Amino acid sequence: MVLTLFDKLGSGLLEALDTAGDFAVLSGRTFAAIFKRPFDGANLMRQFQSVGVNSIPVVVLTSLAVSMVFAVQLAFGFRQFQAEGLASQVEGLAIVRELAPVITGLMLSGRIGSAMAAELGTMQVTEQIDALECLATDPIHYLFVPRLLASAIMVPLLTGFSIYVGFWGGYLILVGVEGQSAFVYASEFYKLLAFRDVQIALTKAFVFGMIIALVGCWRGYRTRGGAEGVGNAPTSSVVTSSLWILIADFFLTKLLLV
Amino acid sequence: MALIDVVNLSKAFGPKVVLSDVNLQVEEGESLVVLGGSGTGKTVLLRNIMGLLTPDSGHVAVEGKIIAQLSRDELFKVRQSIGMCFQMAALFDSMTVFENVAFGLRRHHQLSEDAIRDRVEECLSLVGMRGTEQLKPAELSGGMKRRVGFARAIALKPKILLFDEPTTGLDPVMTDVIGRVILDLKHELGVTTITITHDLKSAFEIADRIALLFRGECIACQHPDEFKINPNPVVQQFLRGDADGPFLQDPPPPKRKPKEAHA
Repeated sequence: MVLTLFDKLGSGLLEALDTAGDFAVLSGRTFAAIFKRPFDGANLMRQFQSVGVNSIPVVVLTSLAVSMVFAVQLAFGFRQFQAEGLASQVEGLAIVRELAPVITGLMLSGRIGSAMAAELGTMQVTEQIDALECLATDPIHYLFVPRLLASAIMVPLLTGFSIYVGFWGGYLILVGVEGQSAFVYASEFYKLLAFRDVQIALTKAFVFGMIIALVGCWRGYRTRGGAEGVGNAPTSSVVTSSLWILIADFFLTKLLLV
Repeated sequence: MALIDVVNLSKAFGPKVVLSDVNLQVEEGESLVVLGGSGTGKTVLLRNIMGLLTPDSGHVAVEGKIIAQLSRDELFKVRQSIGMCFQMAALFDSMTVFENVAFGLRRHHQLSEDAIRDRVEECLSLVGMRGTEQLKPAELSGGMKRRVGFARAIALKPKILLFDEPTTGLDPVMTDVIGRVILDLKHELGVTTITITHDLKSAFEIADRIALLFRGECIACQHPDEFKINPNPVVQQFLRGDADGPFLQDPPPPKRKPKEAHA
């Protein structure tokens, strides 16, 4: 009984270490392949389009929804203390420091991370990745690197865009519904913020972008078992990257706010 | 020295031994056909030659270079001299036929777009697929996909062509077409080929030598005429296509007489 328990614990630990090691090795190979030739500009542009441009509607809708709901909550909360003026300040602080990077990261892990896992998973089970190898092309260089670069560059840009949309979401509620002055809202929104806060937001988004691409590509690349495997890859990619985004957010916040 | 030298090659997946001490030599310009039942390690043999799998023991050498000992860059150099045609073609489904065939040329040669277009047209003509450049793989039939796969494999002018069950799942007419395409490629390009197939008709047309894999071992490797009269009961059973004999591990279901079947 006890031996069986230790046996199970041991094999579980070994499996976890094996998985973590595999992810670390593939990530290392991806970073090492960034500066390798040939440089495929067209492939990179396609990824910019897929990761960045095609994600704009999702980012606009989620940022607008979250910032509006948050503004409603703040207006209601601060009204209890006759401190409605603080709502726009806290709205700005929350959107820039936390909501924009985290919501953008989580939404994009669902949109692009899952798409990467599904695409690479399908390529794996239909032998297209073996075909790349046989055509003397490193799949890490051809598939992982453009996705990593596109994600690491586009997620911060989309986060900047999300902050801008978030400003207008708060504006709609606090100015349009709650009747605050537009001039006061615009000046108060940035009152508690420093340039460092924007830097923190973009640094977080950069890390989240890397997590999304690396986890999505890794899960897809390691797909086994036909249709079932391809079906599991996106789900597992979204769960893993979302979890790591939240964990990284905590540590980055602690680290960068010091 | 043989162009491809398979020496005491063994490969197992967990407890299942797929290849056991296989020895094969393929000379330059030769066409070897590998026959064998399903799951006897034919594809595993090709994947070891391409370096997609690492042998448990023994080795594969191509032009004297031991595949498993090469660095990744050296392996990619060797792979540029080998064209691999996959069982289900493995075309890149996000690309057109033209982009599929041009893929290797764009990655490994500094050619102008005109030169790439000429080479792609030449390769597609060789396999009878001219005029399909702008189609996507999803718009092609099984036989067409295989032929585009052949065109992609020959685009880099390889010395060796490997065909993994090129006729599986095709109708008899298309099987004959594929057999002829392989023969044409062999004669026009003068390449060394290893073909894995179940189709005996095209095997005897293509082969300079025929090898038979049985339970992970190579039990025969000889000229087609000698192979036909090989006294080994496994070879004879495979040639007859009969269920009764030593070929199957589990006994087949008994043969019913036609009367019993209708009763």
